[in-house]
Amino acid sequence: MIVLLMIGGAAGAVCRYLLGKWIDYRFADPPFPTAMLTVNILGSAGLGLFLALFYGYVPGDAYEDPLFLTAAVGFFGAFTTFSTFSMESFRLIERKAYKPLILYVTLSVIGSFAAFLLFYLPFL
Amino acid sequence: MNKRFGPPSVLLAIAAGAMLGTLLRYSINAAAFDSIFPFGTLMENWSGSALLGALTGFFAIFTVREWISAGLGVGLCGGYTTFSTLVSDTVLLGSALSPLYIAAYILPTIVGGIAFAWAGFAGGQRLGRKLRSSEEGRRL
Repeated sequence: MIVLLMIGGAAGAVCRYLLGKWIDYRFADPPFPTAMLTVNILGSAGLGLFLALFYGYVPGDAYEDPLFLTAAVGFFGAFTTFSTFSMESFRLIERKAYKPLILYVTLSVIGSFAAFLLFYLPFL
Repeated sequence: MNKRFGPPSVLLAIAAGAMLGTLLRYSINAAAFDSIFPFGTLMENWSGSALLGALTGFFAIFTVREWISAGLGVGLCGGYTTFSTLVSDTVLLGSALSPLYIAAYILPTIVGGIAFAWAGFAGGQRLGRKLRSSEEGRRL
């Protein structure tokens, strides 16, 4: 089961990297970091849909459930990321780019919550 | 494909780093699972931000091969920290987005995460400079 969890995490991180590279390539020089914003919104939507379709809630024995571990903790957990979000926010502060910073943080938080709810509630 | 996405060694290093990061995140979550407040995820996101900050600062001074920095940054830190669990925990555990829960969980996660990334970056740069100057000293 731990192996499945780790494979899910590896797949999630590689997908994040490839999608991020592709977004950076397609949309060069964005005013704020678009790649990880997109990844986090997409991953939150995916987790919402997955939880609604398979569980409807976080199961009490979530940590003994191979599917939950592989997909929710492994794949979506590792596909989305917080450390890069923190680092990119800090970089914006460093450059005194406060408007992009506020936009980036707000869009990341509100966007991820909205995406999660939008793909969770209707599919319960 | 290789030009745009980097060599296979980078992808392999990211996968390996993420395996370790995901395992760490799972282990901390499992130890903290009984609580209604996601302390585990908070700790992971704070410490992961500090570590990524430190790595970024260090590698800015002390350059290494791409697979090493990508494996540790994108793979390990990226797989260790998470955004989607933060969202699902808030919605599913946090009694429907109560303002108190948001204030007690989301705000500290974000403000703390940025502060830890900042501190980590400064520390990583200092360490990088120290190591570089001692290496230059040895060469002289």
